[in-house]
Amino acid sequence: MSRFFHDLHKYKNYTIYSAKSDLKSEVASSYLNWLWWILDPICFMLIYTFIFGVVFDASEQYFPVFIFIGLTMWNFFNRLMLSSIKIVKSNKSIVSKVYLPKYILILEKMGVEAFKMGISFLIVIAMMIVYRVPVTWNILCAIPILIVFFIICFGFATILLHFGVFVQDLFNVTQIGLRLVFYMTGIFYNLSTRIPSPYSDYLSHLNPVAFLMTSMRKALLYGEMISWKWLGLWCLVGLLISAVGIHTIYKNENSYVKVL
Amino acid sequence: MREYAIEVKDLCVNYRNLQKYSIKQNFFSFKRRKTEQFEAVKNVSFSVEKGEILGIVGRNGSGKSTLLKTLAGIFSPDSGTIDMKGHSVSLLSIGVGFQTELTGRENIMLSGMLLGFSQEFIKEKMEEIIEFSELGKFIDMPVKSYSSGMHSKLAFSITAILETDIMMIDEVLSVGDTKFKKKSYAKMKSLINDQDRTVLIVSHSSDTLRQLCTSILWLHDGVIKMQGDTKEVLAAYEEFMK
Repeated sequence: MSRFFHDLHKYKNYTIYSAKSDLKSEVASSYLNWLWWILDPICFMLIYTFIFGVVFDASEQYFPVFIFIGLTMWNFFNRLMLSSIKIVKSNKSIVSKVYLPKYILILEKMGVEAFKMGISFLIVIAMMIVYRVPVTWNILCAIPILIVFFIICFGFATILLHFGVFVQDLFNVTQIGLRLVFYMTGIFYNLSTRIPSPYSDYLSHLNPVAFLMTSMRKALLYGEMISWKWLGLWCLVGLLISAVGIHTIYKNENSYVKVL
Repeated sequence: MREYAIEVKDLCVNYRNLQKYSIKQNFFSFKRRKTEQFEAVKNVSFSVEKGEILGIVGRNGSGKSTLLKTLAGIFSPDSGTIDMKGHSVSLLSIGVGFQTELTGRENIMLSGMLLGFSQEFIKEKMEEIIEFSELGKFIDMPVKSYSSGMHSKLAFSITAILETDIMMIDEVLSVGDTKFKKKSYAKMKSLINDQDRTVLIVSHSSDTLRQLCTSILWLHDGVIKMQGDTKEVLAAYEEFMK
């Protein structure tokens, strides 16, 4: 564990610089590229708002903002999971040249995605103002929710990184799995009102992404208190998964290059 | 008492059990696949003194690059020990590790940081590296637009200017055009005169090694065939390769 913090400190500057350069090159490589960071979630929000708000009549209060928060968090999770599987391979040129702890690659990717997520949250704030969502102190709960969210994502990503190196078709399998989770997370509907009673509880508490997403909406939109008990529990689980993931990576990372 | 920079004892590196595996295959074939074991480096022990320039020769596939990568910490040894005495190490080889979407300048920064240098130090050295690499205005273009010669020039410049205690060079002494070749030779010479720097060179060019190295290690099928004085080993090696 102490090795983890030592390495984290040692590679901190590298991670930050690398994430910055990545963002910069993404902006530079194509015209109006950064606009897509905004346009992409907005367009999907409009689609889902129409289909589920109008066609299926599943509307909620502040429905577009409701969906936008869901999509923002889902995009972060989804992109991070999918890229973790291939992350060692796609950084082959670096990994086969010099030693670096492989989870640094995840942290770098998280930095890039977190920046995009930050932009999305700015839009959320703008939308909240437009929809005149009443602001309460509960908004501050967003910070611990995000921290737990990052820990959980990091934990899952480390595990996927490890198996992604050895299992060739993990990407396809994960894609299907993620699609399943996507529909069960309640991005465009309210889990607790749309699904019959015992199942909605399972779905919204046992799936960390769904739980955190629901909590985020409660905190930002509806001024409700979040469940600290579950948040603490998922924080512990996230730390545990991360610890297992980091341990596995340290133990096996030197053979990753041999497999590539 | 001689001071050693690298001490390697009974080093073995295997490639085994590490083939990729796919879930689909597991569904459709019930027989276990045989795992092949390939020993790339077998029981190699040697030590390099501080300030020494060690050449490594051997046929293709005799384990030279694997040895260097293991020393650089990219592979883990399956058995045996490597003691680098806490020196900083850099490995330079063909197909160098750049992020091709980023510019040359950013890649210098990133490579430098991965080698363990501080941002300020690299900034100081930046101009020197750019000048040495002769890239001119290309330095602010994405690396993917570089020719292979420019690629290698940049890589060589980074390693040559940001000097680590131990440098490992894998077949890249002959990069670039004639002018750059001369320059890199001169740079290598000056590094050799530096008493604190230890250099390991893998090359197929006997002439290069004869000029630069203080001793030679000859690997054959993963084991040390001969080790010692440059002239003797190279003579034996050339005889063997005829």
